[in-house]
Amino acid sequence: MAEARKTQKRLRFSNADTAQPAQGSVEVQALFDSIGDGVIMTDEFGRIVRINPPALAILGFKEEELIGQWFPKVIVSLDEQGKPVGLIDRPISRSFLTGKSISEKLLYRRKDGQPVSVAITVSPMMVRNRPVGAIQVFRDITLEQEVDRMKSEFISLASHQLRTPLSAIKTYSHMLVDGFMGPLEPPQKKALRTIIGASNRMNELISTLLNITRMESGSIAVTPKYVNLGRLLDEIHDELTHVATNKDINFKLIQPTDNVATRTDPLILKEIISNLVMNALKYTPNEGNVDLMLSIKGGSALIKVKDTGLGIPKLSHDQVFTKFFRAPNVIKRETTGTGLGLYLVRGLTEVLGGKIWFESEENKGTTFYFSLAAQRIPRKVKM
Amino acid sequence: MAKILIVEDDEDLNGAYKLILEKDGHEVETAFNGEDALAHLKSFEPQLILLDLLMPIMGGLEFLKHYDLKSNPTVKVLIFTNMENSPEVTEAYSLGAHRCIIKSWTAPQNLSRVVNDALREKTDSKTVAGKTKS
Repeated sequence: MAEARKTQKRLRFSNADTAQPAQGSVEVQALFDSIGDGVIMTDEFGRIVRINPPALAILGFKEEELIGQWFPKVIVSLDEQGKPVGLIDRPISRSFLTGKSISEKLLYRRKDGQPVSVAITVSPMMVRNRPVGAIQVFRDITLEQEVDRMKSEFISLASHQLRTPLSAIKTYSHMLVDGFMGPLEPPQKKALRTIIGASNRMNELISTLLNITRMESGSIAVTPKYVNLGRLLDEIHDELTHVATNKDINFKLIQPTDNVATRTDPLILKEIISNLVMNALKYTPNEGNVDLMLSIKGGSALIKVKDTGLGIPKLSHDQVFTKFFRAPNVIKRETTGTGLGLYLVRGLTEVLGGKIWFESEENKGTTFYFSLAAQRIPRKVKM
Repeated sequence: MAKILIVEDDEDLNGAYKLILEKDGHEVETAFNGEDALAHLKSFEPQLILLDLLMPIMGGLEFLKHYDLKSNPTVKVLIFTNMENSPEVTEAYSLGAHRCIIKSWTAPQNLSRVVNDALREKTDSKTVAGKTKS
């Protein structure tokens, strides 16, 4: 903090000085002006010494209004509420303090007062380990953000529209099986169960595509709540027991005596753990074992999903969380599968600030570990 | 057994939910959008409302803003939607929805279970929301 104050003081003090634009050759100036993105160069005190035409176009200023001015004062960065960001939180200050490049998406206030979304990279210019200035490259991302928003909206709406007829197919198929419309013969029930199975697979696909689109565009909605992890795992165990029963898999839930509580988004966490359990059940042969375990150590909850399934070949361990990856031993046996499940799981784990890893041996089984900050609550305390 | 109002614009699903819940012995009325639901609520006092979000004329969120759950604390609203993990679902919770269920995951026996569980739970209890697979 002392270092931060020193820099703040230095930057503020420098505001009173008069800047001298850096000298350079005609070629350097031409190169600078020809760069398609906005570029602003400051001296070691944060005063603007060079600015190229795209930067002026994005910000709506004239060159003479900015040259020699103190960067943080004339180019105001706004937070999501439209309030100016403090000096110490500005990327240019942090870049000076750490000596590292910083890339961020943020809002700048144009000369006309309107905010503009920009993606910036600011880097300190170092000479003999001492910052002699900074260079910032930035571009207007208003259009990209609008396209992202429209893409997200489209996927969301398309998913909804695909699911509406699927809901009717599934509900009525179940109602027929359950005898709502009169008794059925076994072959008719079998055919209906095939329809239900297929509609479940279609549903899984829609969910995965929707979640991946949201995850990749960074628009996944995170709503943290206090979550009783044991209760959440109970729900998952309840909901997936029928899958285990169909394959005669011994599917156990093992929990500590005390409650384990965390603050997280329950829907996203459920998506992660359900995915891991579904994988374990899918790739474990009939009559195998799948254990879903919860424990707490220190300030961290550990959820383990352990199976006696096909396992992951050692050569494939590095690729397990990559998009579209399916292990060679799995492709031989199971033709269905997108290779998107664990890619999604890893992305969602990052969204929640958790950790995920695994141990696996081919033909023996796999254990996935998921950990998240949590606290132990004695059983007698009602949650 | 309880009084239930189903608010769902898809006629096939609306009819199916009515059949399932009536089989469980509930008294069920049906509405096809938020405005229709508000009209029903003038004469029908349900303990539970099964509410879709995306509907013509008046959607589920707008209905929740008009209905004001805080003035009707004994009524539970179950959101029944296909908009998984969406900002709309988050907003529905902030407007007082009790739980959110993804329609395309839910089989009839799960619908019965979720409805009966919600009716048994105290109004102030907290539930972990999630999709109900079958």
